[in-house]
Amino acid sequence: MSNKTIFYPRALDEKDGKLVQMANKCKDCGKTAYPVTELCQFCSSENVEKVPLSTTGTLFAYSITRVPVGKYKPPIIGGYVDLPEGTRVFGQIRAKAEEVKTGMKLKTETGVIWTEKDGTDVYGYYYVPA
Amino acid sequence: MRDVYVLGIGQTVFGKHDTLYVADLAATAALAAVKDAGINPKDIQVAYCGTNMNLGTIAQQSLQRLGVTRIRMYNVENACSSGSSAVDLLHREVALGAVEVGIAIGCESLSTHNRKVGKGLLAVDDHQGRLALTMPHFFASEMAQQLMEKRGATMQDICYATIKNHKVAKYNPYAQYKKEITFEEIMASPMISEPITMLQCCPQSDGGASLILCSEEYYKKHNKKSHRPAVKMAASIINNSGPEDANSDPLALPVLVDAARMACEIAGVDPLKDINVVELHDAFSAEELAAYEMIGICKKGEGVKFARSGDAEFGGRCPVNLSGGLLSLGHPLGASGLRVCNNVIQQLWGEAGDVQVKDAKVGMAEMLGGVLTGQENPICAGIQIMTR
Repeated sequence: MSNKTIFYPRALDEKDGKLVQMANKCKDCGKTAYPVTELCQFCSSENVEKVPLSTTGTLFAYSITRVPVGKYKPPIIGGYVDLPEGTRVFGQIRAKAEEVKTGMKLKTETGVIWTEKDGTDVYGYYYVPA
Repeated sequence: MRDVYVLGIGQTVFGKHDTLYVADLAATAALAAVKDAGINPKDIQVAYCGTNMNLGTIAQQSLQRLGVTRIRMYNVENACSSGSSAVDLLHREVALGAVEVGIAIGCESLSTHNRKVGKGLLAVDDHQGRLALTMPHFFASEMAQQLMEKRGATMQDICYATIKNHKVAKYNPYAQYKKEITFEEIMASPMISEPITMLQCCPQSDGGASLILCSEEYYKKHNKKSHRPAVKMAASIINNSGPEDANSDPLALPVLVDAARMACEIAGVDPLKDINVVELHDAFSAEELAAYEMIGICKKGEGVKFARSGDAEFGGRCPVNLSGGLLSLGHPLGASGLRVCNNVIQQLWGEAGDVQVKDAKVGMAEMLGGVLTGQENPICAGIQIMTR
């Protein structure tokens, strides 16, 4: 039975057996930011509620890194995804390089993004064509 | 606020100094500034030292080697704007009358840092860093790709700054790389993050730079170089991004656009007309291309047109990076914020040699630090405007 861990604190919450990106939605200024922070990043209000982030968005900009980075081997496709809340999130895109175009619709998925030497599976989010 | 005068500047050669520690580089740069100013180092009343990767009491360690001790000293980190922050803090102290004379140092030993963490792309271990976001990937996606899609930039335009800056580096005795580079050589170099190849990125470098600022009274009493026109630091700005910047147009980053506008307002200059020379943060050739319109030396949307006009070259309306820039001079992170100020100051003193801009009266130095991905990596912009 391998261990599980999330790649970065606050990036994903576990809800009903699923991994979900939780964001701050501010009841005072109406803006949403991810991940959750102590106060609203826009207006400093305490009046924030945790809401799941949208799971579909549009690709604003991307690049393909052709050198190894950390645990990842090239090609590493990563981009900035615009969500309906007005929030832009960075993540890797799991698709063929030829399929990826700015303006394309993407959806968020979660799963293992790398495995540690001791066998621990590290979970994260990434985007796939919608 | 009082006028702030520049009394002396200095720097080390930038390059691979892997037998030296960061305090060695800082001490060399500080001594060079003290000698250029021609003052007794014991006059210095405050010191600020900017460095990004090398933590420690670097100001204290380096200045004790010059017999400067027992004064207020601070070490400051603000990503690539660490050096600019040191300058900004010193400028404010002199302007507000807290001191008559002080020193700012910027330094970096990436050789030391790489020995500790291993050589590679400078990585940040945060949310986006763990998803493989690196500096080249950020600039490739949010600047190079955006320039191509929204400004009609070609690869020639994207590589322009590398070619332009390497062309003049041979005139800079402090530069790490002095060879000219062609477009073909740039495109043949290893791909890092599409479309950015290795030669579109600044090299990793070690070095130090320093400057001395003082009040008008101290300047009149102690300046021995009467052939030098008086140069003032007319404005200094450190500005930071907000969550809006991450969701906005990266070709019009509010943090940088606002910083440049505020600095020009304080200095009383119109960037479209009055600025004669610029030194800016060209960590990537695409970044320089994007910066022209953000700092205001050309109209919004016209950065590519400005580059193609030749106005950013020696002989043009507003030459940029006649020092050779980060791209050929090298980028010891903390040192660059000081070095860009120093090159502008040299121009206004008339001491820039083969790349002297005729009758330069107003110059801007710009730095941009951080990787814009949201809350974990905000951006810090630094702008100094010098006038004669």
